[in-house]
Amino acid sequence: MKTKKLFIALFIVMCCASFIFAAGTKEMEEGPIEVSFWSLFTGGDGEYFDAIIEEFNNTHTDIQMTTDTVKFDNYYTKLTAALAAGTAPDLVVVHQARIRNYAPSNQLLVLDDYLEKIDAPMDDFVKSPLEACMLDGKIYALPLDVHPIIMYVNVGLLKEAGVNKIPTNYEELISAAQAVEKKTGKMGIACDNTTAVYKAYTLTRLFFSMMHQQGGSMLSSDNSKATFNNEKGVVALKALTDMVNKYKVTPKGLDYDTSVNSFKLGEAAFHFNGVWATGTMEKAEGLDFVAVPLPGLVGKPAAWGGSHSLAIPASKAVDEEHVNAILECMLWITEHGDMWAKAGHIPVRESVHKSAKFKALPYRSDYADAAASFVAPPATAAWSEIYSNMSDLLEYAVSNNSNPYTTLKEMEKRVNEIIATYN
Amino acid sequence: MIPGNKDNRDGYLFALPFLIVFVLFMIYPLIHGFFISFFKWDILSTKVFLGLDNYIKLFSDSKFYISLWHTFKFVLITTPVLLFLGFVMALFVNSKSPFKKAGENIFFLPYIFSMTVVSTLWAWLFQKQYGLFNHLLAIINIEPVGWLTDPLWAMWSVSFATFWWTAGFNMILLSAGIKQISREVFESAEIDGASYLQRVKRITIPLLKPTIVLCLILQTIASFNVFGQVYVMTGGGPYGKTRVLIQYIYETGFNYFKMGYSAAMSYILFLIILIFSVLINKLGESNYD
Repeated sequence: MKTKKLFIALFIVMCCASFIFAAGTKEMEEGPIEVSFWSLFTGGDGEYFDAIIEEFNNTHTDIQMTTDTVKFDNYYTKLTAALAAGTAPDLVVVHQARIRNYAPSNQLLVLDDYLEKIDAPMDDFVKSPLEACMLDGKIYALPLDVHPIIMYVNVGLLKEAGVNKIPTNYEELISAAQAVEKKTGKMGIACDNTTAVYKAYTLTRLFFSMMHQQGGSMLSSDNSKATFNNEKGVVALKALTDMVNKYKVTPKGLDYDTSVNSFKLGEAAFHFNGVWATGTMEKAEGLDFVAVPLPGLVGKPAAWGGSHSLAIPASKAVDEEHVNAILECMLWITEHGDMWAKAGHIPVRESVHKSAKFKALPYRSDYADAAASFVAPPATAAWSEIYSNMSDLLEYAVSNNSNPYTTLKEMEKRVNEIIATYN
Repeated sequence: MIPGNKDNRDGYLFALPFLIVFVLFMIYPLIHGFFISFFKWDILSTKVFLGLDNYIKLFSDSKFYISLWHTFKFVLITTPVLLFLGFVMALFVNSKSPFKKAGENIFFLPYIFSMTVVSTLWAWLFQKQYGLFNHLLAIINIEPVGWLTDPLWAMWSVSFATFWWTAGFNMILLSAGIKQISREVFESAEIDGASYLQRVKRITIPLLKPTIVLCLILQTIASFNVFGQVYVMTGGGPYGKTRVLIQYIYETGFNYFKMGYSAAMSYILFLIILIFSVLINKLGESNYD
């Protein structure tokens, strides 16, 4: 009996204590405005982003950011669940291609009015990435960066093979790769074409880029059907299959990790990958390379690119002062794009491109122009399913050197089927 | 229970913490999952009632059939091998070998690693350019094999890693079963001049039948539920050749947010596993008599 009483007493004390502490935290809010933030950045990216936040917190007394990193694998699952439950943080990172998954159901705050009120320097944003964050003329997010696919070139190997010009089209690329293979015995083009730990997305990224290089597109302008089953599609697809099967400058069964490592170890002359690989490559000792915007392999320059953007969950609209604080964070982060560029990504503010700090970064300024030829994926909720299915089908076509006409027909059928399920 | 005491209330009270968790995180999601399988729902927007549409669509979805076939392939490869390996290991640890204790530990050790550790480890061993296996093959002048990237090998490689990982669990179950068989039966058989193989065939296997059936059911269920190893080691590749049903369910639900369709597929898989478990159980019972 005695112990029972003791427990009850203890329980009451604990209850009271928690009330007291809870009240305590309430009063604390007099201090700086807190902006909670979820980042999907891990590994190298994560370190650079953490540094930005730290710098922000050090230079601001009125606003403090608190971060939480969520593993990329299940980031969107968690974000979706949190948005549905109303527990999402104040500031979220969303890939531009995913905005379409959240905007139509009014999960993201429309920023136009807020931006206008605080007179945000919208002219300073590079046009195409900002437009990619808009739907029906409304701004749902601010771009943080663009990360297009670019071409990494091992200059040392080219020299050894007697090639003294960086290729600007497909024919030059193939002959340079052949020259390298013949003279040095190293791999011509490190471009992944097989799924291992990662899907062979590079195939889709290149196919996408080459469609746009010829003035074509993947989907119709209203995103209602596939538009690549034509002569342009044949050219783009053949460029990918021939690389492996006809010219044999890319080995069969090459997966993403091996592709990256081959170039990193100086075993390959060319490498196609997103700008994010720059950080890895520059750390490789003795690797003499340049990173250039993806050349117009089969036409004018155009490159698939992802773009990270910053958005505010719609549920935050209740407190305008808070929203303005979040916006200030967003603008400050984009303004300091040179810090983020260290991770390889291309900043989206003109002022950053012109800044001495950005220009001083090696490699980045070489491919900064790629921001201009950047092509965003179509703004449709179906895109991520299309993207992953296209990668499987392209991988099959390259591995089996399939007839391009039947492959394109099959891809068109699959893509149209997918689109139909989203209506 | 205390004899004569019919008051079960405190029994329920003690079971309550578990029951609450069980109902909240097992029973409720099961029912809710069945419920949403009749809807079109992406978590964020309102549910649209579809009736049986999700189930009907399944039957014309080639990716569903292909993924289901890949799961079956995995079950067909791994279930017999894992049972056989577990049985051989169990015989070994119940033999008179001086290494039986060491064997028991070594055989069971892999099972304590998490799926991610095992898969990552084997993914590197199988890696085409830098992996240990191809390195060994290179010594005897054999061209590197795309263990995880060649459609002929990929499913076998994943299965192989699974053998290494989980055979030890079957060993524990079967070994416990063998230990329950009375020593005298073996001894009298030995005196009668039965060889080791005869004893295994005529005594161990028949008397172990209930444990073998249990193992078979557990193994079939576990194999049908394969996902992690495949996802980490091959990502379903090359070009979807190892994509198993659960991976397709996962992608549909959590990458493409088609919750209803994903739930419908889960229930079909549930039904298949249920049918197999009942069949195996019946088969075991009829043989037992």
